[in-house]
Amino acid sequence: MAKKSDKIGAVAVVGGGITGIQAALDLADMGFKVYLLEKSSAIGGVMAQLDKTFPTNDCSMCILSPKLVDCARHVNIELFTNTEVQKIEGKPGNFIVKALKKPRYVDMEKCTSCGSCEEVCPIKLPNLFEHGLSDRKAIYKLYPQAIPNAYVIDKEGDGKHRGCVNCMKCTDVCEVGAINHDEKPENLKLNVGAVIVATGSQPFNPVIKPEFGYKKYQNVMTSVEFERVLSASGPFEGKILRPSDKKTPKKIAWVHCVGSRDKSVEHEYCSSMCCMYTAKEAVIAKEHDADIEPTVFYIDIRSFGKDFDKYIDRAKREHGLRYVRSRISEIVENQKTKDLVIRYEDDSGELKEETFNLVVLSVGLCIAEEQRNELIGRLGFETNEFGFVYTNPDDPVVLKPGIFVAGSFLEPQAIPESVMQASAAAANAAALLKDVRGTLVKEKQYPAERDVSGEKPRVGVFVCHCGINIGGYVDVPAVVKFAKSLDDVAYAEANLYTCSEDTQKKIVNAIKKHNLNRILVAACTPRTHEPLFQKSLRDAGLNPYLLEMTNIREQCSWVHMDKPKEATDKAKQLVAMTVAKIRFLQPIQEAEIPVTQKALVIGGGIAGMTAALSLADQGYETALVEKEQVLGGYLNKVYYTVEGIEIDQLLKETVEKVQKHDIIKVYTGSSLVSLNGYVGSYESEIKTPKGTANFNHGIIVVTVGADEYKPNSYLYGKNPQVFTQSELEKKLSECLPEDIHDGETFVMIQCVESRDEQRPYCSRICCMQAVKNAIRIKELNPRAEVFVLYRDLMTYGFKEKFYKTAREKGVMFLQYDAEKKPIVSANDDGLVVKMFEPMLQRELRIPVDTLVLSTGLQPNLDNSVIAQMLKVPVNDDGFFLEAHVKLRPVDFSTRGVFVAGNCHMPKFIGESIYQAQAAAARAATILAQPKLAAEPNIAVVDEDMCSGCKLCISVCPYNAIDSVEEKINGKTVVRARVNEGLCQGCGVCVATCPSGAMQQRGFKDEQILPMVEETV
Amino acid sequence: MEPKILKVKNGDVTKTINEFLKELLNSGKVHSLLVPQAVPSKKMVFPVLISDSNQLNADVFAPLLPASTARIISKMTKFQATKEPIGVVLRSCQIRALVELVKLNQANLENIIIIGVDCLGTFSIDSFVNFSEGKTPTEFILEAFKEKGNSSDKYLRSACCVCKDPIPTNADITIGVYGVDLDKEVLIDVATKAGEKVIEDLKLDDTKSVKEREKSIKTIREEKTKKRTEFVKEKRSINGIAALSEFFDKCINCHNCMTVCPICYCKECLYDSSVFDAEAYKFLRKADRKGLFKMPNDSLLFHLGKMNHMILSCVECGLCEQGCPSNIPLMDVFIPAAENAQKEFDYHPGKDPEEKIPMIVYREDEYLEVGEK
Repeated sequence: MAKKSDKIGAVAVVGGGITGIQAALDLADMGFKVYLLEKSSAIGGVMAQLDKTFPTNDCSMCILSPKLVDCARHVNIELFTNTEVQKIEGKPGNFIVKALKKPRYVDMEKCTSCGSCEEVCPIKLPNLFEHGLSDRKAIYKLYPQAIPNAYVIDKEGDGKHRGCVNCMKCTDVCEVGAINHDEKPENLKLNVGAVIVATGSQPFNPVIKPEFGYKKYQNVMTSVEFERVLSASGPFEGKILRPSDKKTPKKIAWVHCVGSRDKSVEHEYCSSMCCMYTAKEAVIAKEHDADIEPTVFYIDIRSFGKDFDKYIDRAKREHGLRYVRSRISEIVENQKTKDLVIRYEDDSGELKEETFNLVVLSVGLCIAEEQRNELIGRLGFETNEFGFVYTNPDDPVVLKPGIFVAGSFLEPQAIPESVMQASAAAANAAALLKDVRGTLVKEKQYPAERDVSGEKPRVGVFVCHCGINIGGYVDVPAVVKFAKSLDDVAYAEANLYTCSEDTQKKIVNAIKKHNLNRILVAACTPRTHEPLFQKSLRDAGLNPYLLEMTNIREQCSWVHMDKPKEATDKAKQLVAMTVAKIRFLQPIQEAEIPVTQKALVIGGGIAGMTAALSLADQGYETALVEKEQVLGGYLNKVYYTVEGIEIDQLLKETVEKVQKHDIIKVYTGSSLVSLNGYVGSYESEIKTPKGTANFNHGIIVVTVGADEYKPNSYLYGKNPQVFTQSELEKKLSECLPEDIHDGETFVMIQCVESRDEQRPYCSRICCMQAVKNAIRIKELNPRAEVFVLYRDLMTYGFKEKFYKTAREKGVMFLQYDAEKKPIVSANDDGLVVKMFEPMLQRELRIPVDTLVLSTGLQPNLDNSVIAQMLKVPVNDDGFFLEAHVKLRPVDFSTRGVFVAGNCHMPKFIGESIYQAQAAAARAATILAQPKLAAEPNIAVVDEDMCSGCKLCISVCPYNAIDSVEEKINGKTVVRARVNEGLCQGCGVCVATCPSGAMQQRGFKDEQILPMVEETV
Repeated sequence: MEPKILKVKNGDVTKTINEFLKELLNSGKVHSLLVPQAVPSKKMVFPVLISDSNQLNADVFAPLLPASTARIISKMTKFQATKEPIGVVLRSCQIRALVELVKLNQANLENIIIIGVDCLGTFSIDSFVNFSEGKTPTEFILEAFKEKGNSSDKYLRSACCVCKDPIPTNADITIGVYGVDLDKEVLIDVATKAGEKVIEDLKLDDTKSVKEREKSIKTIREEKTKKRTEFVKEKRSINGIAALSEFFDKCINCHNCMTVCPICYCKECLYDSSVFDAEAYKFLRKADRKGLFKMPNDSLLFHLGKMNHMILSCVECGLCEQGCPSNIPLMDVFIPAAENAQKEFDYHPGKDPEEKIPMIVYREDEYLEVGEK
């Protein structure tokens, strides 16, 4: 390994999808220089092509785009597009990454993205971003919000279609001279300390499965194509149309597991997210057009993620999704109508035919041949039998020393897992390079703030088309014209996407040119985009709090799609109201909170230990609090795995590392009794066997775990032959082959008191527990009988292969219906399980020697106590609820508090490990900073108005208000006082205070009331 | 403690109660009493704070509520609890108001002995001052109550007509008249330890049965509840911006309804502040937009704002209506609104000091999203 002196404080992130973006942002915020390398002309990856995301139905582009812009603007992220890695040389801590940067032929600095070049370009090619459902020109932008926001010329074409013919029309029309047809490729040599590979995977191409008729029948499309059909910015502008006649299909079928769980294409793994995106696509299609009748052909519904079961349940109940359990045999086109006939076997084995107007193939992910040959081949990464890169299951993001991996390059998975692995990879890189942290970074320099006091308001109004999201319904030019007519409005303009990078430049320029001192953006919600526009104000030398947004999308165009005239009137009114307010905005100076650069980790299981190690390895002193006498948590109840983790060794080594680490303080048999303070500056009191310990820290990681649920049914606790999976595991770990006799029968029942009304969540791990223990039994004695009675077998990802192993070893998997649960009875002859077998359409009766119940995990009962102390939420099931299930999977909305492991939701060891590392990375983005900016829009008390009624104290969710007694003219007066560090600016106290004594910065009465006045 | 009785001497209830209060004051168990008593002109009855028993001449049944007694106690105890005990004679609505003020940290009940009086209802100030039935209003209402004279209903304020809770709750001691033969006796019901301590030295007789009282209370409550239900049903039609604008047409924006309200506790009302003052051009722009609008232009907003702020704690005392110089029948909107709002949160203002103000209570199922029900 490189010596301290020759380590490089920079990291190369290869791949600019959401995974690479997250890794880059985390590392840059932790104090490292980042080179983000992307093969295509813009970052964003697959997520930019998705319409909505499950299970929250958030618009994918809307939640992604702020991250894109953050990447573009981050002073410590350098973006290289059209760039492919050739070679990685050197050693951990000091690598040379050699890459080829292909010419873009457009100067990114000069291009204003005006689009004139595109208009004159005579060459048309299939638009691959739209999967060929529409065309694009040879000079093009990958998608409207693309980052970098510049055009690119396709000189190569796609084999069938030629690219640029050098007609030079674009050069002639480009006013800024950005086009250079002679640009040459460039060889890059980047000196970095670590590399993160996040190049992703590819959707399966179903052409090689002729029975599905893809590319043969017009109305058979893949799910990734259908995402574009759903998208408002897609080829059909969000109208659900089928390709053959551009008419709305009524009956749509989705076919699961296309290219997944399929031996014929050597993809004997599950792609993990197709079950959920299918449900999402069907739900969204139904939302677009209520007459659509969606049918899903499936094998198992793998809804193993957080709140996934609830989503599926709602999809069935509220949106009328029809689920048919069948692997379909063939799709045939009706040549006249272009409808499609699906032939399938139903539950009872009967052959059926059904006609659909459109068929969507839910394709899985794979590593395409090119990628296998190119990147993996060139860089010599080890791969598994499916072509994905291989890492140790107990060190999941480490590819080689100094080279880390994240995202679906590793295994097919959904966005949250990818994002967690991205942060985990960042944590590993940061630990490797802790000594050179901050050596290559610059601090963002903003111009000095202009003093606007005494200036008459000069408002600049930017009205967003948001593609057709707003522009399709609201007459945006009319709104701009109206805005110009308002008092104090000095400038107004319309933008295709106000959030795009080029518009930010326009805002900055407009502020300078027109001497603006208030900026109004009429677009979408401030929740996602406000920080972006605030930065633009800063760049122009304005205080960021002189910005105001009004939402003419969610609160106008989207809800009044059928009334464009009224929607336009309302948009005008909203603009007028906001102009009424914006005059009264005052600059706000952010208070600074010093950061105690230490961490507290609550819970000493594998997640807690991993988080503590990761934080300490990055150089942050950490206290680890565990309520039990020993470290290890639930891992103490795990004895073996099938995926190759040596539990004993992992536990022993991890505990040893934690205990020997010179900057980790371990408190076993201890608990957190009180917590004061706020992000950056917490004070904790820890009750230990040796008395009370006090610890000051800047962040908190919650890893308090979960435990196996003990059932109340199936004779558990009453009959000595009945066990839970983990009890069986303990027993099997002590078994010798002769302990299990020939013909001894084990029956495992899955989903016991789980995925029902009482515990309506899937515990994710129990199917694999069953598979693992079943394999173990068969290994001990192949002549033992093992039956697994299941509802949906959740062996997602590569776990599918162990399901296959179990079947090959003769384990019998029998599916039961949730409505007809197996029945267990005990009599003199022993235990008997009865279940209805849908394939055979009859009841089976199995005499049992050992009955095993898969009950899953349940959250700790004291989660709610911790939640209250930390002011963080738990979900309906009692698991901790993260800030955003997709993009902030380890953050709480309360800044400075993070979550990992089973207390977030049940998960496997490897998943807990990378989630814990992710939490450590996210925490380090705070700890790396000596000071934090406090929430600016906090509540302030007008002491002369305060009556001391204390209602505000009762309602404050952050305990940020207390009462103080003051002597005024000899009388004792009680008044409210806001703690500026604790206040999160939620405004509940302001709404509660009847006297107006409590006011919120940015939302004061004198600012809000003019808005009201403007409307009434 | 079982209820006690005071024997009425010479059929004069007021005098009998005065003697009881005098004895109480003389016993030293309270430093002073806050009681309704005639002012020197004899035309009006006001609460007086009295420590000299010789000057005590309380008129506890006088059918008049000139000002909120709860608010008076708030003013006395807000900065600091009284160190010496004060006995306060209150009607049920004022006890309820006091309980609300305590919840809002605007009053402190330490060393306050609440002496509640069964309420027979109150008249408007005008009716009271210019009473022309040839006897005092107190005599008139007591006779009406004993069914020995004409009904007093026509003089009652509308709030009192539909008051379903004339019996004090949360009083340490209650002076009871419902279900009691007032020619012979008055009930003294002691509900708290503090109350017991105050009267321990006084000679009181034991009561034989309270059944008659319970029956009478039930009857009066039923009667009034019925009236109130009809009232609410009738007045519910005053609904929506147009109807409310018309209802408040006579409002002169004096804010007196806020000044006299026992619950309104802000130091300075938002609507008295300069928040709504603005430069002329804004008014002109609005005039441009609307063609014309009434000035002052914030009176409806004031009423809705006031309602929004205190409707959950509204104890329906009707002081706002009594204080309105334009005679706007405010109870016509406040009682139906209070009924709706309090029902929605299952909240009973003034009933239980432990019941939290809905504003500070979080319930997962309150105010479901439209369509969730």
